[in-house]
Amino acid sequence: MLAVRNVRKVFGTDADRYLALEGISLEVSQGEFVCLLGPSGCGKSTLLNILAGFEQASGGAVDFEGAAVRGAGRDRVMFFQDAGSALLPWLSAEENVRFALRVRKLPKEQWPEIIERYLEMVGLAEHRHKFPAQLSGGMRQRLQIARALAVEPKVLLMDEPFGALDALTRRRMHGFLLDIWQRTGKTIVFVTHDIAEAVTLADRICLMSVGPGSRITEVIDVDLPRPRDLADPGAARLFKRVEALLTHDK
Amino acid sequence: MTEETLPIERERRPKPDFWVRYRGALLFTASIVIAFAAWQFLSSFVFNPFLIPPPLAVLETAVPMAKSGEIFRHVAISMARVGVGFATGCAAAIVLGVILGRIRLVNELLDPVIELLRYLSPTAMIPIAVIWFGIGELSKYFLIFWGTFFIVLINTTAGVMRAPVIRQRAAECLGASQLQIFLLVVIPSAAPYIVTGMRIAMASSFMSIIPAEILAADSGIGFLLQQSSILLQTNRIFVALLTICVLGFVFDRLFRIAVDRMLSRYMSYIALT
Repeated sequence: MLAVRNVRKVFGTDADRYLALEGISLEVSQGEFVCLLGPSGCGKSTLLNILAGFEQASGGAVDFEGAAVRGAGRDRVMFFQDAGSALLPWLSAEENVRFALRVRKLPKEQWPEIIERYLEMVGLAEHRHKFPAQLSGGMRQRLQIARALAVEPKVLLMDEPFGALDALTRRRMHGFLLDIWQRTGKTIVFVTHDIAEAVTLADRICLMSVGPGSRITEVIDVDLPRPRDLADPGAARLFKRVEALLTHDK
Repeated sequence: MTEETLPIERERRPKPDFWVRYRGALLFTASIVIAFAAWQFLSSFVFNPFLIPPPLAVLETAVPMAKSGEIFRHVAISMARVGVGFATGCAAAIVLGVILGRIRLVNELLDPVIELLRYLSPTAMIPIAVIWFGIGELSKYFLIFWGTFFIVLINTTAGVMRAPVIRQRAAECLGASQLQIFLLVVIPSAAPYIVTGMRIAMASSFMSIIPAEILAADSGIGFLLQQSSILLQTNRIFVALLTICVLGFVFDRLFRIAVDRMLSRYMSYIALT
Protein backbone atom coordinates (compact mmCIF):
# COMPACT_ATOMS: atom_id res chain seq x y z
CA MET A 1 0.00 0.00 0.00
CA LEU A 2 2.76 2.36 1.02
CA ALA A 3 6.01 1.53 -0.74
CA VAL A 4 9.33 3.22 -0.07
CA ARG A 5 12.14 2.26 -2.41
CA ASN A 6 15.75 3.19 -1.91
CA VAL A 7 14.97 6.66 -0.57
CA ARG A 8 17.73 9.07 0.26
CA LYS A 9 17.43 12.55 1.68
CA VAL A 10 20.04 15.29 1.59
CA PHE A 11 19.64 18.60 3.37
CA GLY A 12 21.52 21.74 2.35
CA THR A 13 23.98 22.14 -0.48
CA ASP A 14 27.69 21.69 -1.06
CA ALA A 15 29.71 22.28 2.11
CA ASP A 16 26.65 22.35 4.37
CA ARG A 17 25.10 19.25 2.93
CA TYR A 18 23.97 16.62 5.31
CA LEU A 19 22.97 13.15 4.26
CA ALA A 20 20.03 12.30 6.48
CA LEU A 21 18.67 9.12 4.95
CA GLU A 22 20.21 6.59 2.63
CA GLY A 23 18.89 3.47 0.99
CA ILE A 24 15.63 3.34 2.91
CA SER A 25 13.23 0.69 1.64
CA LEU A 26 10.01 -0.20 3.34
CA GLU A 27 6.68 -1.78 2.43
CA VAL A 28 3.65 -1.14 4.56
CA SER A 29 0.54 -3.14 3.83
CA GLN A 30 -3.08 -2.26 4.41
CA GLY A 31 -4.10 -2.26 8.08
CA GLU A 32 -0.60 -2.80 9.35
CA PHE A 33 0.87 -1.14 12.44
CA VAL A 34 4.52 -0.31 11.75
CA CYS A 35 6.88 1.35 14.24
CA LEU A 36 9.99 3.22 13.16
CA LEU A 37 12.28 2.95 16.14
CA GLY A 38 15.60 4.67 16.66
CA PRO A 39 17.50 7.17 18.77
CA SER A 40 17.06 10.91 18.34
CA GLY A 41 18.57 12.25 15.16
CA CYS A 42 18.22 9.03 13.21
CA GLY A 43 15.98 10.65 10.62
CA LYS A 44 12.77 8.85 11.48
CA SER A 45 10.79 12.09 11.54
CA THR A 46 12.33 13.05 8.21
CA LEU A 47 11.18 9.76 6.75
CA LEU A 48 7.70 10.37 8.11
CA ASN A 49 7.66 13.86 6.60
CA ILE A 50 8.56 12.32 3.26
CA LEU A 51 5.74 9.79 3.59
CA ALA A 52 3.33 12.60 4.43
CA GLY A 53 4.51 14.59 1.43
CA PHE A 54 5.77 17.59 3.40
CA GLU A 55 9.27 16.96 2.18
CA GLN A 56 10.55 15.41 -1.01
CA ALA A 57 13.03 12.59 -1.14
CA SER A 58 16.30 13.50 -2.82
CA GLY A 59 16.42 10.10 -4.44
CA GLY A 60 14.38 6.93 -4.68
CA ALA A 61 10.62 6.61 -4.86
CA VAL A 62 7.66 6.77 -2.52
CA ASP A 63 4.45 5.23 -3.82
CA PHE A 64 1.07 5.25 -2.20
CA GLU A 65 -1.49 2.86 -3.67
CA GLY A 66 0.56 2.61 -6.82
CA ALA A 67 0.97 6.33 -7.46
CA ALA A 68 3.94 8.49 -6.53
CA VAL A 69 3.39 10.68 -3.46
CA ARG A 70 3.12 14.31 -4.45
CA GLY A 71 2.46 16.72 -1.61
CA ALA A 72 0.31 16.18 1.44
CA GLY A 73 -3.14 14.74 1.13
CA ARG A 74 -5.90 13.72 3.45
CA ASP A 75 -5.43 10.01 2.73
CA ARG A 76 -2.24 10.22 4.81
CA VAL A 77 -2.84 12.27 7.92
CA MET A 78 0.07 13.30 10.11
CA PHE A 79 -0.06 13.41 13.84
CA PHE A 80 2.17 15.64 15.90
CA GLN A 81 3.56 15.38 19.38
CA ASP A 82 2.84 19.03 20.04
CA ALA A 83 -0.93 18.88 19.82
CA GLY A 84 -1.17 22.40 21.22
CA SER A 85 0.45 23.70 18.05
CA ALA A 86 -1.18 21.25 15.67
CA LEU A 87 -4.71 22.03 16.80
CA LEU A 88 -6.29 25.41 16.23
CA PRO A 89 -6.20 26.93 19.70
CA TRP A 90 -8.87 29.51 18.95
CA LEU A 91 -11.43 26.82 18.14
CA SER A 92 -13.21 24.58 20.62
CA ALA A 93 -12.85 20.79 20.45
CA GLU A 94 -15.98 20.54 18.36
CA GLU A 95 -14.94 23.38 16.07
CA ASN A 96 -11.55 21.77 15.50
CA VAL A 97 -13.27 18.68 14.13
CA ARG A 98 -15.62 20.89 12.15
CA PHE A 99 -12.60 22.62 10.62
CA ALA A 100 -11.46 19.27 9.23
CA LEU A 101 -14.89 18.65 7.70
CA ARG A 102 -14.95 22.13 6.26
CA VAL A 103 -11.65 21.73 4.43
CA ARG A 104 -12.75 18.26 3.36
CA LYS A 105 -15.65 19.97 1.57
CA LEU A 106 -18.31 17.69 2.97
CA PRO A 107 -21.96 18.80 2.73
CA LYS A 108 -22.95 20.65 5.90
CA GLU A 109 -25.89 18.36 6.69
CA GLN A 110 -23.47 15.55 7.48
CA TRP A 111 -21.30 17.55 9.85
CA PRO A 112 -23.18 17.17 13.15
CA GLU A 113 -23.38 13.41 12.86
CA ILE A 114 -19.69 12.95 12.02
CA ILE A 115 -18.58 15.36 14.74
CA GLU A 116 -20.75 13.49 17.21
CA ARG A 117 -19.40 10.10 16.15
CA TYR A 118 -15.72 10.93 16.44
CA LEU A 119 -15.92 13.03 19.59
CA GLU A 120 -17.82 10.13 21.10
CA MET A 121 -15.21 7.66 19.88
CA VAL A 122 -12.35 9.53 21.56
CA GLY A 123 -14.41 10.24 24.66
CA LEU A 124 -14.50 14.01 24.31
CA ALA A 125 -18.22 14.47 23.73
CA GLU A 126 -18.66 16.12 27.14
CA HIS A 127 -15.74 18.45 26.52
CA ARG A 128 -16.82 19.58 23.10
CA HIS A 129 -17.01 23.25 24.03
CA LYS A 130 -13.61 23.40 25.67
CA PHE A 131 -10.65 24.97 23.95
CA PRO A 132 -7.42 22.97 23.48
CA ALA A 133 -5.70 24.97 26.24
CA GLN A 134 -8.40 23.80 28.64
CA LEU A 135 -7.84 20.14 27.82
CA SER A 136 -5.20 17.88 29.33
CA GLY A 137 -2.31 16.62 27.21
CA GLY A 138 -3.95 13.24 26.67
CA MET A 139 -7.26 14.82 25.76
CA ARG A 140 -5.54 17.07 23.25
CA GLN A 141 -3.99 14.04 21.59
CA ARG A 142 -7.37 12.34 21.48
CA LEU A 143 -8.84 15.46 19.91
CA GLN A 144 -6.10 15.34 17.31
CA ILE A 145 -7.07 11.73 16.63
CA ALA A 146 -10.75 12.64 16.30
CA ARG A 147 -9.92 15.46 13.92
CA ALA A 148 -7.76 13.17 11.79
CA LEU A 149 -10.33 10.37 11.69
CA ALA A 150 -13.00 12.84 10.61
CA VAL A 151 -11.35 13.17 7.20
CA GLU A 152 -11.29 9.38 6.89
CA PRO A 153 -7.64 8.90 6.07
CA LYS A 154 -6.22 5.56 5.01
CA VAL A 155 -2.93 5.99 6.81
CA LEU A 156 -2.12 7.61 10.13
CA LEU A 157 1.44 8.91 10.33
CA MET A 158 2.31 9.48 13.97
CA ASP A 159 5.42 11.40 15.00
CA GLU A 160 6.13 10.46 18.62
CA PRO A 161 2.56 11.42 19.42
CA PHE A 162 2.67 10.44 23.08
CA GLY A 163 6.25 11.49 23.80
CA ALA A 164 5.23 14.48 25.90
CA LEU A 165 2.70 12.64 28.05
CA ASP A 166 3.30 11.19 31.50
CA ALA A 167 3.86 7.43 31.69
CA LEU A 168 0.40 6.63 32.98
CA THR A 169 -1.43 8.68 30.37
CA ARG A 170 0.83 7.29 27.68
CA ARG A 171 -0.09 3.74 28.60
CA ARG A 172 -3.76 4.63 28.52
CA MET A 173 -3.29 6.24 25.11
CA HIS A 174 -1.65 3.05 23.82
CA GLY A 175 -4.73 1.02 24.74
CA PHE A 176 -6.90 3.70 23.25
CA LEU A 177 -4.95 3.86 19.97
CA LEU A 178 -4.95 0.07 19.58
CA ASP A 179 -8.68 0.05 20.16
CA ILE A 180 -9.23 2.71 17.49
CA TRP A 181 -6.85 0.89 15.14
CA GLN A 182 -8.67 -2.42 15.55
CA ARG A 183 -12.06 -0.80 15.11
CA THR A 184 -11.23 1.29 12.06
CA GLY A 185 -8.60 -0.87 10.35
CA LYS A 186 -6.37 2.10 9.54
CA THR A 187 -2.78 1.65 8.51
CA ILE A 188 -0.43 3.23 11.04
CA VAL A 189 3.20 4.28 10.73
CA PHE A 190 4.35 5.23 14.20
CA VAL A 191 7.66 6.93 14.98
CA THR A 192 9.14 6.50 18.44
CA HIS A 193 12.40 6.28 20.34
CA ASP A 194 10.78 4.31 23.14
CA ILE A 195 11.46 0.57 22.85
CA ALA A 196 8.63 -0.31 25.23
CA GLU A 197 6.20 1.68 23.13
CA ALA A 198 7.27 -0.05 19.92
CA VAL A 199 7.06 -3.51 21.51
CA THR A 200 3.61 -2.76 22.95
CA LEU A 201 2.11 -1.46 19.73
CA ALA A 202 3.71 -2.69 16.54
CA ASP A 203 3.08 -5.51 14.10
CA ARG A 204 6.50 -4.77 12.76
CA ILE A 205 9.40 -2.77 14.17
CA CYS A 206 11.91 -1.11 11.85
CA LEU A 207 15.12 -0.17 13.62
CA MET A 208 16.95 2.84 12.27
CA SER A 209 20.59 3.73 12.74
CA VAL A 210 21.96 7.12 13.76
CA GLY A 211 22.78 9.56 10.95
CA PRO A 212 24.41 10.73 8.84
CA GLY A 213 23.09 8.35 6.24
CA SER A 214 20.55 6.60 8.46
CA ARG A 215 19.28 3.28 7.23
CA ILE A 216 16.82 0.68 8.37
CA THR A 217 19.16 -1.81 9.99
CA GLU A 218 16.72 -4.44 11.10
CA VAL A 219 13.08 -5.32 10.61
CA ILE A 220 11.43 -7.36 13.34
CA ASP A 221 8.05 -8.99 13.00
CA VAL A 222 6.13 -9.02 16.24
CA ASP A 223 3.50 -11.71 16.51
CA LEU A 224 2.70 -11.45 20.16
CA PRO A 225 -0.97 -11.37 21.10
CA ARG A 226 -2.48 -8.06 22.17
CA PRO A 227 -2.87 -6.54 24.68
CA ARG A 228 0.80 -7.01 25.43
CA ASP A 229 2.42 -6.81 28.80
CA LEU A 230 6.15 -6.12 28.95
CA ALA A 231 6.40 -8.47 31.90
CA ASP A 232 5.37 -11.41 29.70
CA PRO A 233 8.36 -13.54 28.74
CA GLY A 234 7.79 -13.11 25.00
CA ALA A 235 7.55 -9.33 25.18
CA ALA A 236 10.43 -9.11 27.63
CA ARG A 237 12.65 -11.18 25.37
CA LEU A 238 11.79 -8.99 22.40
CA PHE A 239 12.49 -5.87 24.45
CA LYS A 240 15.96 -7.21 25.37
CA ARG A 241 16.68 -8.13 21.81
CA VAL A 242 15.73 -4.71 20.44
CA GLU A 243 17.67 -3.02 23.19
CA ALA A 244 20.75 -5.07 22.38
CA LEU A 245 20.45 -4.24 18.70
CA LEU A 246 20.15 -0.53 19.38
CA THR A 247 23.06 -0.47 21.82
CA HIS A 248 25.19 -2.47 19.45
CA ASP A 249 24.46 0.00 16.68
CA LYS A 250 26.09 2.83 18.64
CA MET B 1 -7.82 19.55 63.73
CA THR B 2 -9.47 20.34 60.47
CA GLU B 3 -12.90 20.51 62.05
CA GLU B 4 -11.65 23.09 64.47
CA THR B 5 -10.01 25.28 61.89
CA LEU B 6 -12.84 25.27 59.41
CA PRO B 7 -15.31 27.56 61.27
CA ILE B 8 -12.57 30.07 61.96
CA GLU B 9 -11.79 30.31 58.29
CA ARG B 10 -15.44 30.87 57.54
CA GLU B 11 -15.58 33.74 59.99
CA ARG B 12 -12.57 35.40 58.51
CA ARG B 13 -13.78 35.21 54.98
CA PRO B 14 -15.86 38.37 54.49
CA LYS B 15 -12.95 40.71 55.16
CA PRO B 16 -10.45 39.41 52.61
CA ASP B 17 -13.32 38.88 50.21
CA PHE B 18 -14.14 42.57 50.13
CA TRP B 19 -10.47 43.44 49.85
CA VAL B 20 -9.85 40.94 47.07
CA ARG B 21 -12.84 42.18 45.14
CA TYR B 22 -12.14 45.88 45.27
CA ARG B 23 -8.38 45.80 45.73
CA GLY B 24 -7.59 47.02 42.22
CA ALA B 25 -10.17 49.82 42.21
CA LEU B 26 -9.25 50.98 45.71
CA LEU B 27 -5.54 51.11 45.05
CA PHE B 28 -6.11 52.85 41.73
CA THR B 29 -8.23 55.54 43.40
CA ALA B 30 -5.76 55.86 46.26
CA SER B 31 -2.89 56.31 43.85
CA ILE B 32 -4.66 59.14 42.00
CA VAL B 33 -5.89 60.84 45.18
CA ILE B 34 -2.46 60.76 46.80
CA ALA B 35 -0.80 62.08 43.65
CA PHE B 36 -3.24 65.00 43.41
CA ALA B 37 -2.90 65.77 47.12
CA ALA B 38 0.88 65.80 46.84
CA TRP B 39 0.67 67.97 43.75
CA GLN B 40 -1.67 70.42 45.52
CA PHE B 41 0.67 70.61 48.52
CA LEU B 42 3.84 71.02 46.48
CA SER B 43 2.47 73.74 44.19
CA SER B 44 0.93 75.65 47.09
CA PHE B 45 3.87 75.58 49.50
CA VAL B 46 7.03 74.50 47.71
CA PHE B 47 7.04 75.48 44.06
CA ASN B 48 6.00 78.61 42.27
CA PRO B 49 2.24 78.16 41.63
CA PHE B 50 2.54 80.06 38.38
CA LEU B 51 5.00 77.53 36.96
CA ILE B 52 3.20 74.53 38.40
CA PRO B 53 -0.40 75.52 39.02
CA PRO B 54 -2.11 73.46 41.74
CA PRO B 55 -4.80 70.98 40.63
CA LEU B 56 -7.65 73.06 42.03
CA ALA B 57 -6.57 76.05 39.95
CA VAL B 58 -6.27 73.81 36.89
CA LEU B 59 -9.79 72.56 37.55
CA GLU B 60 -11.05 76.14 37.81
CA THR B 61 -9.60 76.86 34.39
CA ALA B 62 -10.89 73.59 32.95
CA VAL B 63 -14.56 74.12 33.87
CA PRO B 64 -15.21 77.14 31.62
CA MET B 65 -13.15 75.54 28.85
CA ALA B 66 -15.38 72.49 29.07
CA LYS B 67 -18.56 74.53 29.35
CA SER B 68 -17.80 76.58 26.28
CA GLY B 69 -16.97 73.38 24.43
CA GLU B 70 -13.52 74.68 23.56
CA ILE B 71 -11.68 71.70 25.00
CA PHE B 72 -14.01 69.18 23.39
CA ARG B 73 -13.58 70.82 20.02
CA HIS B 74 -9.82 70.43 20.22
CA VAL B 75 -10.15 66.87 21.49
CA ALA B 76 -12.53 65.94 18.69
CA ILE B 77 -10.21 67.35 16.05
CA SER B 78 -7.16 65.57 17.46
CA MET B 79 -9.04 62.30 17.83
CA ALA B 80 -10.32 62.48 14.27
CA ARG B 81 -6.74 62.90 13.07
CA VAL B 82 -5.54 59.99 15.18
CA GLY B 83 -8.54 57.93 14.05
CA VAL B 84 -8.00 58.43 10.33
CA GLY B 85 -4.21 58.06 10.45
CA PHE B 86 -4.35 55.05 12.73
CA ALA B 87 -7.05 53.22 10.76
CA THR B 88 -5.44 53.74 7.37
CA GLY B 89 -1.99 52.99 8.80
CA CYS B 90 -3.18 49.71 10.32
CA ALA B 91 -5.01 48.66 7.19
CA ALA B 92 -2.04 49.29 4.91
CA ALA B 93 0.44 47.76 7.35
CA ILE B 94 -1.58 44.58 7.87
CA VAL B 95 -1.96 44.01 4.14
CA LEU B 96 1.72 44.61 3.41
CA GLY B 97 2.83 42.79 6.57
CA VAL B 98 0.95 39.66 5.57
CA ILE B 99 2.60 39.75 2.15
CA LEU B 100 6.04 40.27 3.68
CA GLY B 101 5.47 37.44 6.12
CA ARG B 102 4.40 35.08 3.41
CA ILE B 103 6.46 35.85 0.32
CA ARG B 104 10.14 35.56 1.07
CA LEU B 105 11.43 37.38 -1.99
CA VAL B 106 9.30 40.46 -1.32
CA ASN B 107 10.45 40.40 2.27
CA GLU B 108 14.10 40.23 1.36
CA LEU B 109 13.68 43.06 -1.14
CA LEU B 110 11.75 45.41 1.13
CA ASP B 111 13.13 44.60 4.56
CA PRO B 112 16.32 46.73 4.25
CA VAL B 113 14.29 49.76 3.20
CA ILE B 114 11.85 49.25 6.07
CA GLU B 115 14.68 48.81 8.52
CA LEU B 116 16.04 52.21 7.49
CA LEU B 117 12.77 54.11 7.20
CA ARG B 118 11.40 53.04 10.55
CA TYR B 119 13.92 55.21 12.35
CA LEU B 120 12.23 58.27 10.92
CA SER B 121 9.81 59.08 13.71
CA PRO B 122 6.65 61.03 12.84
CA THR B 123 8.24 64.06 14.51
CA ALA B 124 11.19 63.87 12.13
CA MET B 125 8.76 63.84 9.24
CA ILE B 126 6.84 66.96 10.29
CA PRO B 127 8.91 69.49 8.28
CA ILE B 128 8.63 67.60 5.03
CA ALA B 129 5.00 66.68 5.67
CA VAL B 130 4.12 70.38 5.95
CA ILE B 131 5.80 71.08 2.63
CA TRP B 132 4.11 68.12 0.99
CA PHE B 133 0.63 68.44 2.46
CA GLY B 134 0.38 71.93 4.02
CA ILE B 135 -0.85 72.51 7.54
CA GLY B 136 -4.33 71.14 6.86
CA GLU B 137 -5.69 67.77 7.93
CA LEU B 138 -3.79 65.80 5.33
CA SER B 139 -0.37 66.39 6.87
CA LYS B 140 -1.61 65.17 10.27
CA TYR B 141 -3.23 62.10 8.74
CA PHE B 142 0.05 61.38 7.02
CA LEU B 143 2.14 61.75 10.17
CA ILE B 144 -0.09 59.46 12.24
CA PHE B 145 -0.19 57.01 9.35
CA TRP B 146 3.59 57.07 9.20
CA GLY B 147 4.00 56.36 12.90
CA THR B 148 1.38 53.60 12.92
CA PHE B 149 2.46 51.92 9.73
CA PHE B 150 5.92 50.67 10.68
CA ILE B 151 4.97 49.44 14.12
CA VAL B 152 2.01 47.41 12.87
CA LEU B 153 3.94 46.26 9.80
CA ILE B 154 6.82 44.77 11.75
CA ASN B 155 4.51 43.03 14.20
CA THR B 156 2.27 41.65 11.49
CA THR B 157 5.21 40.30 9.52
CA ALA B 158 6.64 38.65 12.63
CA GLY B 159 3.26 37.14 13.50
CA VAL B 160 2.70 35.70 10.04
CA MET B 161 6.24 34.29 9.89
CA ARG B 162 5.84 32.67 13.29
CA ALA B 163 2.59 30.88 12.55
CA PRO B 164 3.58 27.34 13.65
CA VAL B 165 4.70 25.17 10.74
CA ILE B 166 3.15 22.17 12.46
CA ARG B 167 -0.25 23.85 12.49
CA GLN B 168 -0.03 24.62 8.78
CA ARG B 169 1.10 21.11 7.96
CA ALA B 170 -1.65 19.59 10.08
CA ALA B 171 -4.22 21.63 8.17
CA GLU B 172 -2.54 20.74 4.89
CA CYS B 173 -2.85 17.01 5.39
CA LEU B 174 -6.48 17.38 6.43
CA GLY B 175 -6.94 18.62 2.89
CA ALA B 176 -6.88 22.39 3.31
CA SER B 177 -5.94 24.40 0.22
CA GLN B 178 -3.13 26.97 0.35
CA LEU B 179 -5.74 29.74 0.51
CA GLN B 180 -7.55 28.03 3.37
CA ILE B 181 -4.32 27.52 5.27
CA PHE B 182 -3.54 31.16 4.80
CA LEU B 183 -6.94 32.53 5.80
CA LEU B 184 -7.99 30.00 8.43
CA VAL B 185 -4.65 29.11 10.01
CA VAL B 186 -1.91 31.66 9.36
CA ILE B 187 -3.86 34.89 9.83
CA PRO B 188 -5.59 33.80 13.06
CA SER B 189 -2.24 32.55 14.37
CA ALA B 190 -0.81 36.01 13.72
CA ALA B 191 -3.72 37.83 15.35
CA PRO B 192 -2.08 38.27 18.78
CA TYR B 193 0.97 39.86 17.18
CA ILE B 194 -1.13 42.15 15.00
CA VAL B 195 -3.26 43.28 17.93
CA THR B 196 -0.21 43.92 20.09
CA GLY B 197 1.32 45.98 17.30
CA MET B 198 -1.89 47.98 16.98
CA ARG B 199 -1.94 48.69 20.70
CA ILE B 200 1.62 49.96 20.70
CA ALA B 201 0.91 51.99 17.56
CA MET B 202 -2.12 53.54 19.20
CA ALA B 203 -0.06 54.75 22.14
CA SER B 204 2.52 56.13 19.73
CA SER B 205 -0.21 57.88 17.71
CA PHE B 206 -1.37 59.68 20.83
CA MET B 207 2.17 60.83 21.39
CA SER B 208 2.98 61.90 17.87
CA ILE B 209 -0.20 63.87 17.22
CA ILE B 210 0.93 66.47 19.80
CA PRO B 211 4.21 67.59 18.19
CA ALA B 212 2.50 67.52 14.82
CA GLU B 213 -0.15 69.92 16.07
CA ILE B 214 2.34 72.08 17.96
CA LEU B 215 4.39 72.68 14.86
CA ALA B 216 1.85 72.59 12.11
CA ALA B 217 -1.80 73.15 13.00
CA ASP B 218 -4.38 75.72 13.92
CA SER B 219 -6.51 73.39 16.01
CA GLY B 220 -6.27 70.31 18.20
CA ILE B 221 -4.79 69.68 21.64
CA GLY B 222 -1.25 70.26 20.47
CA PHE B 223 -2.28 73.64 19.09
CA LEU B 224 -3.96 74.43 22.43
CA LEU B 225 -0.68 73.65 24.18
CA GLN B 226 1.35 75.78 21.84
CA GLN B 227 -1.06 78.72 21.94
CA SER B 228 -1.24 78.65 25.74
CA SER B 229 2.52 78.53 25.94
CA ILE B 230 2.94 81.63 23.80
CA LEU B 231 0.44 83.46 26.01
CA LEU B 232 2.14 82.10 29.19
CA GLN B 233 -1.16 80.54 30.33
CA THR B 234 0.25 77.71 32.43
CA ASN B 235 -3.19 76.77 33.77
CA ARG B 236 -4.42 76.09 30.27
CA ILE B 237 -1.26 74.13 29.45
CA PHE B 238 -1.96 71.87 32.39
CA VAL B 239 -5.57 71.41 31.32
CA ALA B 240 -4.30 70.26 27.92
CA LEU B 241 -1.68 67.97 29.44
CA LEU B 242 -4.22 66.32 31.75
CA THR B 243 -6.56 65.88 28.81
CA ILE B 244 -3.86 63.98 26.91
CA CYS B 245 -3.25 61.69 29.91
CA VAL B 246 -6.94 60.89 30.30
CA LEU B 247 -7.52 60.38 26.57
CA GLY B 248 -4.59 57.98 26.14
CA PHE B 249 -5.63 55.99 29.17
CA VAL B 250 -9.30 55.80 28.17
CA PHE B 251 -8.56 54.78 24.61
CA ASP B 252 -6.13 52.07 25.64
CA ARG B 253 -8.76 50.65 28.00
CA LEU B 254 -11.41 50.82 25.29
CA PHE B 255 -9.07 49.06 22.90
CA ARG B 256 -8.43 46.31 25.40
CA ILE B 257 -12.13 45.87 26.10
CA ALA B 258 -12.89 45.72 22.38
CA VAL B 259 -10.18 43.10 21.88
CA ASP B 260 -11.50 41.10 24.82
CA ARG B 261 -14.99 41.17 23.40
CA MET B 262 -14.17 40.36 19.80
CA LEU B 263 -10.84 38.57 19.66
CA SER B 264 -10.43 36.88 23.03
CA ARG B 265 -10.40 33.41 21.53
CA TYR B 266 -7.44 34.38 19.40
CA MET B 267 -5.64 36.11 22.24
CA SER B 268 -6.24 33.95 25.28
CA TYR B 269 -4.16 30.99 24.23
CA ILE B 270 -0.83 32.70 23.72
CA ALA B 271 0.09 32.37 27.37
CA LEU B 272 -0.83 28.70 27.36
CA THR B 273 0.87 27.24 24.32
